Amino acid sequence: MPTVHVMGADLFDGYVPDDFFDEVFTDDGSVRPHYEDLVARLRSFTSTELARRERLRDAAFRSAGITFTVYGEDEGVERTFPMDLLPRIIPADEWSEIEVGLVQRVTALNRFLDDLYVGERAAVKDGIVPSWLVTSSDGFRREAFGVPVPRGARCLVAGIDLVRDAEGTYRVLEDNVRNPSGISYVLENRAAMTRVLPNLFGSLRVRPVDDYGITLLDALRHCAPAAAGDPTVVVLTPGVHNSAYFEHAFLARQMGVELVEGRDLVVDEHVVYMRTTRGLQRVDVIYRRIDDAFLDPVVFRRDSMLGVPGLLAAARAGNVTLANAVGNGVADDKAVYAYVPDLIRYYLGEEPILQNCTTYLLWDADQRKAVLDRLDQLVVKPVAESGGYGLCIGPAATAEELATVAAQIEANPRGYIAQEVVSLSRHPTLVDDHLEGRHVDLRPFVLTGETTTVIPGGLTRVALRRGSLVVNSSQGGGSKDTWVLRDDDAKDDDAADGTGGA
Amino acid sequence: MLSRHAEHLFWTGRYVERAADTARMLDVTYHGLLGEPVSEARRGWLDLLDVLHLGQQFADLHQVVDARTVSKFLVADKDNPGAIVPCVQKARENARGVRELISTEMWESINNFWLELQGRNLERDLDQQPYELYGLVRRRCQEVAGTVAETMPHDDGWRFFLLGSMLERAGMTCRLLNVRFAPFTEGEDELGFHPAVHVLKSASASEAFRRAHPAAMTLENVLEFLLMSPTFPRSVLFCLQAAETELAQLASAGRVSRALRVLGRRRADLEFADVTELLAGDTHGFLDEVQNDVRRAAELVAVQFFRHTDEFAVFHSLDPVS
Repeated sequence: MPTVHVMGADLFDGYVPDDFFDEVFTDDGSVRPHYEDLVARLRSFTSTELARRERLRDAAFRSAGITFTVYGEDEGVERTFPMDLLPRIIPADEWSEIEVGLVQRVTALNRFLDDLYVGERAAVKDGIVPSWLVTSSDGFRREAFGVPVPRGARCLVAGIDLVRDAEGTYRVLEDNVRNPSGISYVLENRAAMTRVLPNLFGSLRVRPVDDYGITLLDALRHCAPAAAGDPTVVVLTPGVHNSAYFEHAFLARQMGVELVEGRDLVVDEHVVYMRTTRGLQRVDVIYRRIDDAFLDPVVFRRDSMLGVPGLLAAARAGNVTLANAVGNGVADDKAVYAYVPDLIRYYLGEEPILQNCTTYLLWDADQRKAVLDRLDQLVVKPVAESGGYGLCIGPAATAEELATVAAQIEANPRGYIAQEVVSLSRHPTLVDDHLEGRHVDLRPFVLTGETTTVIPGGLTRVALRRGSLVVNSSQGGGSKDTWVLRDDDAKDDDAADGTGGA
Repeated sequence: MLSRHAEHLFWTGRYVERAADTARMLDVTYHGLLGEPVSEARRGWLDLLDVLHLGQQFADLHQVVDARTVSKFLVADKDNPGAIVPCVQKARENARGVRELISTEMWESINNFWLELQGRNLERDLDQQPYELYGLVRRRCQEVAGTVAETMPHDDGWRFFLLGSMLERAGMTCRLLNVRFAPFTEGEDELGFHPAVHVLKSASASEAFRRAHPAAMTLENVLEFLLMSPTFPRSVLFCLQAAETELAQLASAGRVSRALRVLGRRRADLEFADVTELLAGDTHGFLDEVQNDVRRAAELVAVQFFRHTDEFAVFHSLDPVS
């Protein structure tokens, strides 16, 4: 294949897109139109100047205490989540298609989960998803049967991971409808970018993200039990030692609601209260960031000190809304994921707008055999893990690792799926004093309240290690501010508004 | 506000105050006993341990009673919940529990204090520069209190912080008087200059006292000043008044809580007490009663607002069973 070098005496000197889909450059080395403005501005920066901005950025993040905890290394080390200074840009038309696709997908997931837990279980009865698959899922909770969720907003907050393949087509990599995290980085990244590199924005009309707190609070209040007049909303956190505590505190602050721990709540007669200095105060909606297993020691893990005894019964009685709903994990199951396109067709009667990645189900003898024959060309994932744990990337694995994975699949075919390797798109990323291509994905956030809406952009994660395909923060990933541009019509309208007063 | 947050702030206030008070008393004891014969010094240190209600705990661990052993026990012993370093650590832990609620400046003043203590060679400080160390502890605690007053909204959270420190201080002054005045209630009626100054300095009160009573440093005057001065901020009456004011604001309007009743009665009692009568009667017993009321008020605050009891278990292990 021909190697295209991007020329110019600047940051982009020697930048090689290789034969990946590059977010900024086309195959022939020219800049994609929606990046032209940004690239031109970047060319005026010296590497010294950029290094100075990087220091500014680091100081900003450290003093704000924006950290996450890495488990497994020295009992939880706090790290800052590195943000690359080059933003990712998504043009308006591209985004509007993603947006429609995400709304469609999350709508179907909400319908599926509501059908499963409080409905007729129609999709199962009609053979769209096998019953055994659903009930054997780690995330399935029979205890959640009959627990209502107002408006069926079971995935009140969804994070849908998207990747772009070699052709630049957006595909869904996985659904996160339990407790997707990362939105705080979206907001903090934007805040940092406007402070550290304000002039990069130039004339680009970037859609704001800072109204997330209000939008989330709105959605939560919309899903309060009908009897709650002016609902009291709280954020429930496992506590300061949790890796995402910063985000929990951040969201509580953004919404102006209390950040509570399990011990702050008490259930009496199926009503949830928080203990305050003025007595017990009724709670109507709980945005809980505690996993199902730890939520309520009465029905789940009895040794949980984080949860609230009686919480699920209160939800079942319709006295409190838990967001996200209990039992959503079944939809995060990577084997159930393979059925989502069918679920979209089944519930909505529409063709899926966003495609899945090609996925093989390993309990099927034929598919399993085909997969085992070419394990070195595929990605194998445990169905119940998230965060990139337990992943095996065939082309990068040793013969020994492949043999282990093969044995694991034989022993527990339901426990794994295999996917074709997606050669994720790359984006120029600052490495020391120059730019190199690094693989990226995108996690947009979708909120379901009165309607289902998508926050413009989302979290672009970058695999900072050269050649790595794993973008998870726990695996050495970084992030990029993600700019969704306003469409030109909107721009004209705004301009008319601004000047039309005379 | 959330009970847990209120409780954290209450204990932050209490632990910071305890660290400062302990440093004050250590400072005075250390310097007051320099040059005293060994037996005198020994008695002085045992008295201090009594004031802090740590006598038994100390005796279980140590045979030798001297400046070095006692100071180390009261400053750096990690297993002594009444020692300065563990107090600061507890204050920090409690502040951390309300990190989202308090100002960054307040957090930094406590956190930096803790880090500074961690970074020091405390044994060498105690050996060579105890004055500097105790001064540092006092100033850092004052810095925390100052930052709280200047950067926290004066709302319920702030009131709980204040309530914690005022109750702690009242209890401390009370215990100081009770121990130091023991010899006089048992027959000795002359208060020597040095013991009097010692007591006053332990409460940072010697200058204020001199201005109030330029001529006579009598037993009566000193007791009256530390117990009943309406204006000196470390007198028992002053602390009770302050605690009562905050508590009244915290309570639901028009209702007298049990904690408020205990505090109010005792405050009124001190306000109108006559020191001559006091000294003629059972001074010891009276001071015990005051001490008990302070402790009961703290317990009742917990019952009314927090309903968590583990912290009290720790503090009660420091108090004698009454």
